[in-house]
Amino acid sequence: MPTIKVPSPLRSYTNGQAEVLVQGATVAAAMDDFIAIYPSLQPHLFNGKGELRPFVNLFLNSQDVRHLQGLETPLAEDDRLMIVPSIAGGLEQVDHAALRTNQAFIIALSLLAFILNQPWLAAFVAGMMILGTILRVPAFGFMYWRIFRPLGWIAPEVLKDNPEPHRFAQGFGATVLAVGVAVLLAGANGLGWGLVWLVIGLAALNLLVGFCAGCAVYYWLSRLKAPGFVQAPPEDTFPGMRPKAKA
Amino acid sequence: MNLEISTEVLRQIHRHGEAAYPEEGAGLLLGSDSGLACTVQAILDLPNTREDQARRTRYLLSAEDYLRGEAEADRLGLEVLGVFHSHPDHPNRPSEFDREWAWPNYSYIITSVWSGRAIESRAWRLTDDRQQFVEEPIAVRDLESNS
Repeated sequence: MPTIKVPSPLRSYTNGQAEVLVQGATVAAAMDDFIAIYPSLQPHLFNGKGELRPFVNLFLNSQDVRHLQGLETPLAEDDRLMIVPSIAGGLEQVDHAALRTNQAFIIALSLLAFILNQPWLAAFVAGMMILGTILRVPAFGFMYWRIFRPLGWIAPEVLKDNPEPHRFAQGFGATVLAVGVAVLLAGANGLGWGLVWLVIGLAALNLLVGFCAGCAVYYWLSRLKAPGFVQAPPEDTFPGMRPKAKA
Repeated sequence: MNLEISTEVLRQIHRHGEAAYPEEGAGLLLGSDSGLACTVQAILDLPNTREDQARRTRYLLSAEDYLRGEAEADRLGLEVLGVFHSHPDHPNRPSEFDREWAWPNYSYIITSVWSGRAIESRAWRLTDDRQQFVEEPIAVRDLESNS
C-alpha cells in the first residue's frame, strides 16, 4: 500500500500519525482514501470545488506530481507520497494613486503626440508601457513614487485589489499603442491615430470613471480558466471597476 | 495557546522586517511545543520567491524552502511552529489573502513596519473551519535562544 507522509501542521487531524498507509492506484485515489480515513482534513487540502489548494504540494518520491501527471499520476505499492506545504500570504493591495498618475501621463503624452503629429512620442509612450509591463510596474508610476508622493502632491490611495489585472491591462494598452505606431509609420494615419485614441479613451475611462477595461478582460479570462489568469475580482466589486475597500 | 518568544528572537523578527522594507519579509518560526505553550527559539530566514513588485505585498515560501526549513529544525532538535512575515506600512492584522493561504495549527506572527521601522508584532492562528484567524497572545520572555 502507498504511504502518505503528513506534514506537522496536519498531524492533529491524523491522531498524530506522520505516515498513513492508504489504498489507491493513482494520487487522486490515494488522496480520496486518505480523506475518507480523516475527513476533517478535507477543507485544508481541497477547495470547495474539490481541487487541491494551491499551497498544498504532493511530492512522489521527491518529485512534484504537478510536474508528473498531476492527480492522475499512477502509484506503485511501495510509493511514498509526501504532502509538502508552500507558505504564502501578505496584503492584497494596489496603490491606485500610482495607477492614476500612470494613466494621466499616458493620456497627456499620447494627446500631445496626436496634436503635434509626432508618432515617435506615441512610440515612446508605448515603449515605456512595454518596459513597465516587463518590470511589473505602472510605466510612469516612478513619477508618483519618486516625486509626487514624497512631495505630498498626490496622496496614496491604497485599495484592496489585485495587481495582476492592472499589469495585464497595461500590457494590453501597450500592444494596441505599439500597433498604432507601426500603422502610423506604415502611412495609414487614420487607423494609426484611431488606435492611439483608443488607448487614450480607455485610460481616460479608467482615470475618470474607475473602470479598467483591461482588468475586465483579465477577470473574464480568469473565469474561462485561461492559464495564468488566477485572480478573482475583489469582494463586492464588478469585474474591472475600482474596488471600494481600503486595504 | 500562548506563544512564548524571547526578546532576542522577537528583535530578530523586527530586524528582518525592517531589512526587507518596503517589501514583505518572511520566514519560519522554529521551536518547541509542550502542548501547553509553543516556544519560539529560533527563526529561519527564507527568500521571498515572489517576483519583483509583488514582493511589496505578498510573500511565498516554496515547498523546497519548507523542506529545507524542516531539515534545519530537525538538525536543531526543534519543530516548525509557524511563520512570521511583515506588513509594510500596514497594520499587523491578517489579510484575507493570509487567511486563504493559511495552514492550521501554525502560529502566524505579523509585524507592522511603518516607514522602515518595525512597530509591533501580533500572533494569529487559523480556526479549524478556516473561517477566521484568532489572536494568540505573545508572551515575551528572556529565554535561552538557539540562534
